[in-house]
Amino acid sequence: MENDKTPLWSAHGICKSFPGVQALDNVSMDLYPGEVHALIGENGSGKSTLAKCLAGVYPLEGGEIFFKGKPLIFRDPTEARKSGVATIYQEFSLVTTLSVAENIFLGSYKIYPSSRLIDWAAMRLSAVNVLEQLALEIDPDAIVSGLSVAEQQLVEIAKAISMESTLLIMDEPTAALGLVEIDHLMNLIRRLASQNKTIIYISHRLDEVFEIADRVTILKDGQRVGTAPISDMNMRDVVRMMVGFDIEQHYPKETHVQPEICLEVSHVSTDKGVHDVSFEIKKGEVFGLGGMLGSGRTEIGKAIFGVDRVRKGSIKLNHKVMFFKNTAESIASGIGFLPENRKVDGSFLNFEGPKNITISRLKEVLKGPFIQLATERMVGVDYVKKLDISPSALDRSVQYLSGGNQQKVIIARWLFSQARLLILDEPTQGIDIGAKLDVYRVINELTANGISILLISSDFPELIAMSDRIAVVRDGRILKIAEAQRISEIELISIASGVEVEEETGIKEISS
Amino acid sequence: MIKKFFRTTVAGPIFALFAVVLVASLASPRFLMVANLSNVSLQVSIVAIVAIGATLVILTGGIDLSPGSTVAVVCCTLAILVKNMGLPLPVGILLVLLLGVFLGFINGFLSTYGKIPSFIATLATMSIYRGLAFLITNGTPIFSVSPQLDSIFYGKFLKIPLPFYYVLILYAIMAIFLRNTIPGRSIYALGGNESAARLTGIRVNRVRMLAYVLAGLMAAIAGVLETAWLNSGSPNYGSELGLESIAAAVIGGASLIGGYGSMVASLVGALIVAVVQNGLNLRAVPASWQEITIGGVIVLAVGLDMWRSTLGGILKRIFKFTTSDSKEEKSTKTSGG
Repeated sequence: MENDKTPLWSAHGICKSFPGVQALDNVSMDLYPGEVHALIGENGSGKSTLAKCLAGVYPLEGGEIFFKGKPLIFRDPTEARKSGVATIYQEFSLVTTLSVAENIFLGSYKIYPSSRLIDWAAMRLSAVNVLEQLALEIDPDAIVSGLSVAEQQLVEIAKAISMESTLLIMDEPTAALGLVEIDHLMNLIRRLASQNKTIIYISHRLDEVFEIADRVTILKDGQRVGTAPISDMNMRDVVRMMVGFDIEQHYPKETHVQPEICLEVSHVSTDKGVHDVSFEIKKGEVFGLGGMLGSGRTEIGKAIFGVDRVRKGSIKLNHKVMFFKNTAESIASGIGFLPENRKVDGSFLNFEGPKNITISRLKEVLKGPFIQLATERMVGVDYVKKLDISPSALDRSVQYLSGGNQQKVIIARWLFSQARLLILDEPTQGIDIGAKLDVYRVINELTANGISILLISSDFPELIAMSDRIAVVRDGRILKIAEAQRISEIELISIASGVEVEEETGIKEISS
Repeated sequence: MIKKFFRTTVAGPIFALFAVVLVASLASPRFLMVANLSNVSLQVSIVAIVAIGATLVILTGGIDLSPGSTVAVVCCTLAILVKNMGLPLPVGILLVLLLGVFLGFINGFLSTYGKIPSFIATLATMSIYRGLAFLITNGTPIFSVSPQLDSIFYGKFLKIPLPFYYVLILYAIMAIFLRNTIPGRSIYALGGNESAARLTGIRVNRVRMLAYVLAGLMAAIAGVLETAWLNSGSPNYGSELGLESIAAAVIGGASLIGGYGSMVASLVGALIVAVVQNGLNLRAVPASWQEITIGGVIVLAVGLDMWRSTLGGILKRIFKFTTSDSKEEKSTKTSGG
């Protein structure tokens, strides 16, 4: 990269916060024409948030965006798009019932100027051109829902490119692609860069970053740790910068591991992407599953909980072989599952707090065949006190509660269900520090009572601090199981993201 | 206590019911007469019972368009069993109640295991059941089914018509079922968040089936009453019951998304419709305008609920206005009127 050029796009002092989290704190970056600029960092470091700020999805709380030195303000994604910012999001934005051509020009249909009718022929022709330019062999008339996930991803890219943008933001574009397609994409990115477009490439796959990027910016906890030409860096530097050396947060970890085995998973495979997974969890143990998004860590939890059918292998709970056909059976056997997405899979927004808590074990508040509403409320009062939940949860729908309080209501649900093994999938995601500490406190209390925890978390420092042992998951397989004290964040991240780092690389100085 | 009542979702429909009763009694002095009120309770009974089923299904997040046709099949079958085949009336009633359960089961099966959206599935069965009613009667009504039938509908207890008690008892049972039993709670949970329901061990499919089966049973009970009312069975009976029962539930505040609504609210909804119809009848308003009015009531009932926050804000602003300046009050009032 020649440094004498002036930046095409630049961001200065970008700030953005969500309730309880400073997602971006004074982040700046300069982007030169023809540059592939990688944006990397751990899960939750602010990569996607920065992308969405540049694309006009989130309004800026501080800072400015400049194009060729002129400040621009995006009030919505359309304005950003008009100014030349095209974005390929992690989640697809295709209308699956429409054809490829229609999707490429969605929102900017070509029309006859006289009649204002859609010029289908011109649109199809342009679509063919775009697809040809990308050397994609996709039928422009195919309906998107009939395409493979990888093809849909490529259509998404074609759509972004058709907009004649000067800045192309790609958020994890390879997540759905196979090796051949990734190769294809890399060539495409090089070609786009040679047309003097700027590309922001967000990925957690460091090998890709080293292959494609000219420069790299590393984010950690919403702050920029550094920007450098990729040629000046090696894999280890990058990983170290991503992880950082100071773990400031204090985790109130207590160890209550007992010798008896609670759960034994051996050679389990499912259709949902779990391959030959084996591990065991002792009574009172916190067993961590570490991995990137989509690594199969949640699916392992779902297999144990009876959501996904176990195709091979066996699961033993308290030495008894279990084959759960549904969650009713697993709950009755003493397993609880706190889902990753509270709103979609957890909360009943039409219920107040008490009903949300008792739902997993209504039998406990029955008298004869009838639910005792007074008893149910007492249960609610009890857990509101125990978990320090906002008292308004007792009479109002949980939709009015903060994320942290909602999460505590769901934790209360599983405490009430008398679970002996609790699967916690991202229990602290999107909740504030106070509520996080409450969750850690509950984990300690549970393990002290001999309850086992399967902890799934993207927050690796948290995972390492709160687990007794950790399994690293990638592509639905467990690659390593280690004592939490013996595994460093660097090691965890390296294995989880598929980068090999030598075994003895000053790992011990970081852990605990 | 009062404050708590205001926060419940039933409060709105109950006020609306008072309002329409007030208007109806002002519009016609005959409205509040015992004879008329007893007439209203007869009129409302059949749709109110069908509305129990509509509410159950709507609570799960589904919809049932078929109960009107179920009523027709039940009426015709009962007439055939009792009049043409000579079965004793109680046996006939028992059999058609089972038939209702079976027809509800088909609805449930199609939308639960057949994965056909309930709107489509029950649209289809609405047509199929209606066709069956024509098929088994050759399209001709069967009159004078049984002399014993009259007392079921026209009988009185303590000077109050029997259907009033049927409605009261069925609503009481179903209200307790919904509020205080595990299956009832599961229906709310399913409608509130199906995915969460599944993950908390609720047998989602069974719960959904139960709602449709109960809806079929309620339609069958309504069908027996309809047969008793007219002492006949005709394939044309009940053609409006499906939509009317949905209207009652919706006016009562049930949400088609599922998870919100209650038995009391739906009963109030059915009563609102009945009172409006009765009031218009007493003023001899033609049927065309009755239909239009009922439509308006639906828009108003659901609209008021949807616009509650906006309207609340406007009212608050007007209220602030009036307390600060009494002159403004007059102008807003006149402009409002």
